[in-house]
Amino acid sequence: MVGIGDKLLGYATNPDVRNRGASGGLVTAVLAAALEKGMVEGVVVLKRIDEYEAIPVITDDVQEVLASGGSMHAVPVNLTKHAVGRKIAMPGKPCDVRGVIEQAKRNGVDLENTYIVGLNCGGSMHPVVTREMLIRMYEIDPEDVVGEEIEKGKLIFKTKDGEEKAISIDELEEAGYGRRENCRYCTIKIPTNADLACGNWGVIGELAGSATFCEVMNEKGKRLLDNAIEAGFIEVQPADEKSIAIRNKVNSAMLKLGDEWKGRLLTEIHDQERLTYYIEQFADCIDCGACREVCPVCTCGEDSKCTMFHSLADNYKMSMYHMVRLLHLSDSCIGCGQCSDICPVDIPVTTIFRRFADPAQKKRDYSPGMDLQRPPFLELMLK
Amino acid sequence: MKETIYQTVCPGCGIGCGLYIRENGNGSVSIDFLKSSPVNLGKLCRFGMKLPYYYSRPASSKTEGVVSGAEEAVKAAASRLKNAGKIAMLSAGNTTCEEHIAFTRLAETLGTVVHTGIPVYQELPSECHPHLEGMPLAEIENAEKIVLFIDPYVQYPLLVRRLLVARRNGAHIISAGTKELHLAHENRDLSPEQYAELELDSNSVIIADVHPHTESCHTKQLLNLALETGARIHFMKPFINSEGANRLARDKAGMMGISHIMDEIEKGDIKTLFLLDSDPLEMMPDSDRTANALNKLDNLIVISSRDSPITEIANVVIATEPLYRKRGTFINAEGKLRENSGQEVAGIDAMSLLSRELGSEGFEYRQMHGYLHERMIETLANENRKPEYGIMQCAPVQHNGACILKYLFNPFMWANQPDDNDFVLLNMNMVRSLKLRKGGMVRLDSEKGSMKMRYRVERVPDGMILTARKLQVATGTNTTVKVEGC
Ligand SMILES: Cc1cc2nc3c(=O)[nH]c(=O)nc-3n(C[C@H](O)[C@H](O)[C@H](O)COP(=O)(O)OP(=O)(O)OC[C@H]3O[C@@H](n4cnc5c(N)ncnc54)[C@H](O)[C@@H]3O)c2cc1C
Ligand code: SF4
Repeated sequence: MVGIGDKLLGYATNPDVRNRGASGGLVTAVLAAALEKGMVEGVVVLKRIDEYEAIPVITDDVQEVLASGGSMHAVPVNLTKHAVGRKIAMPGKPCDVRGVIEQAKRNGVDLENTYIVGLNCGGSMHPVVTREMLIRMYEIDPEDVVGEEIEKGKLIFKTKDGEEKAISIDELEEAGYGRRENCRYCTIKIPTNADLACGNWGVIGELAGSATFCEVMNEKGKRLLDNAIEAGFIEVQPADEKSIAIRNKVNSAMLKLGDEWKGRLLTEIHDQERLTYYIEQFADCIDCGACREVCPVCTCGEDSKCTMFHSLADNYKMSMYHMVRLLHLSDSCIGCGQCSDICPVDIPVTTIFRRFADPAQKKRDYSPGMDLQRPPFLELMLK
Repeated sequence: MKETIYQTVCPGCGIGCGLYIRENGNGSVSIDFLKSSPVNLGKLCRFGMKLPYYYSRPASSKTEGVVSGAEEAVKAAASRLKNAGKIAMLSAGNTTCEEHIAFTRLAETLGTVVHTGIPVYQELPSECHPHLEGMPLAEIENAEKIVLFIDPYVQYPLLVRRLLVARRNGAHIISAGTKELHLAHENRDLSPEQYAELELDSNSVIIADVHPHTESCHTKQLLNLALETGARIHFMKPFINSEGANRLARDKAGMMGISHIMDEIEKGDIKTLFLLDSDPLEMMPDSDRTANALNKLDNLIVISSRDSPITEIANVVIATEPLYRKRGTFINAEGKLRENSGQEVAGIDAMSLLSRELGSEGFEYRQMHGYLHERMIETLANENRKPEYGIMQCAPVQHNGACILKYLFNPFMWANQPDDNDFVLLNMNMVRSLKLRKGGMVRLDSEKGSMKMRYRVERVPDGMILTARKLQVATGTNTTVKVEGC
């Protein structure tokens, strides 16, 4: 039996799952065991299409879960909405987890029925930008790539002929490649808001690459791990002081880097410039409504405030849609980047929204999506 | 909890945005974003975002207006076609290349051709036809100067990001369309005689479109401009596979525009209309007049993957699977071959059965796809060709006198689609002269009737009223109207 707060190193007992897994297959095995033992009705998995593309699906097939391991850094999806109205287990980067918690505050998700195996996250990349980066910066044919990893601040790609090429993330990002803009200033790298927080930071020595560092965050996390151990899907051992210290150190370094990006990108907008800034930023909006549709924290449905007060026939210099959304999301925007990714005219929506929300959240020392303790400052929390 | 995912292409316009359609266990569909699609990076416009509604009305086979099995409908279609006089066949490009090729096979059996409904092919010399093909959209991003004869925001929204990239790369953008565009450095209302003022050269790109209601004179003027300046010209196409359908046509000069077909039906010269995923009631500007004309037909036979106004009135409907489930390919406006992950071939099978019923050979998907590959080198070669046509003369249609209600033609025209673009665009001078109240309505009177519309103020030429959706009072893409404040 494991305890809340335990920090463990573990891996899948099935060698295939362990090999296919990003760092030991523990996450996959825990999800599969939850399904196998009836803790949940389905699991969210990423159905892999190729190195740069995958689509989230919900499955009730344990074999499909077991076949789904591996981290896809160039698949910047958000899995939140798949948890709505279901009894499922899911993997989740910090932003996936934050989305689920914001949904829970608004009764979109029942956290009691949702198990989240959190993944540490240094950031994700856009698939098309990644392909372009491979050609321009790495001089590698994207089709030749068989794997990638991040080590000591470098992004390393492995090709099918066994070659490896590493370039520092700083250099890539200065050239406009690397992680998505929002990931650079994301402030949660270890998902302490999930039931389990898993990653490869702190896995050293002979276990490096074949075990997962896993922290038990709460009672549900304990249930998940106990269930997987009992089902014989995983084996775990306590992490030693050195592993724990390394994990903390890398996390601190990543957070410091995130703060630097935040300082660069989320600068204050002065009162005199504010209106012009927003009018200009949204001037090319084609009113597709996709940013609302993909927003993981939005529970409004069809008749939302942002669409109700907005009309295409309006002659406002800035649409009511964006004005209402800016305000409405100021207490819940988690900066996941989905809105920027899908904006058809490439408006950096996430950064615009974060620049608006950040000061308001900072002033109230409020970080959305982290726990259910504090209600959103603009709303009641539904229970 | 079983979900089925299809990788497909948006059936909206000719850009051909990649996306996923998710069939949920309960039969409903939703969209998901295919971020690795090089055409659109997973991004979609308003139409793409509404695809669940578009796909919520699958077609049902009908024989003599009554729901029937597909086989019965095929047999009824065969018996009508065998006894038909002059048959017009239309496939505007709303389905796969393979289905279009199968339809062309049927046309050969029936001794006719498949029209794509775009009139300029018939009206322009054949040496111009290769220049109506689109160019790679990524090349737009590297142009030094771009002249727009379309409104990308309304007509082809996913072009906007290409233009914004071009602008960031230093391109100078001029809008020569009817409406002021935010992304343009200059917005100019130019007559063809003033085109020299654009100062284009071989690093410039002209962007226009050809669609079922394009005036060929306008296309000629643009081709002349390209010839005289050396600028590249990119023609957008309205439907998902317009480019494919037009590239695959062997006898482009023999293809009639949809208005021409409707005129012949009105005159009684065409008595049988055979359609493949093409709805004249949606495509024609005046649905009432079109419905009256279609009433004169002896045979209206429709192969369709979705329910639309035409499937309500057809004698025979042969229903096929929704577009996203079809096995097959599309060629988008830039000449890129896009493929569905779906594997269903009910459409091809139905056409094969029809072919056999008509006394010809049946065929399979494999053969249709094989034919596409044979034609591929020809169809996908869209390099910057040297013009082989000469300067063309033409006299534009004059719209004198009163105000003109003009369709800001977009591929969707929002026929049967929910959208809140229920307003017209007019300029400040008109608002002032009619003393229109903010938030009020404007009344439009045409020979067909009268209607009230909300309005939005835009910089459009004096006397012009633009609409992005079909209106009851319209008699054509340009309708003379009287306007009043109310
Ligand atoms: C984008 C990304 C960035 C990461 N960055 C770091 C990091 O900087 N430091 C660190 O210690 N760990 C990071 N991880 C976590 C690490 O890669 C492993 O996922 C973790 O160690 C668990 O390994 P495992 O073998 O147990 O997981 P596996 O058994 O391989 O299971 C991985 C699970 O993650 C899911 N998954 C894969 N890609 C994604 C995605 N893009 N979004 C959501 N879910 C996904 C899979 O469906 C599967 O359920 C990152 C993971 C991702 C997805
Ligand atoms: S926003 Fe944060 S948690 Fe989400 S992918 Fe980016 S870095 Fe990871």
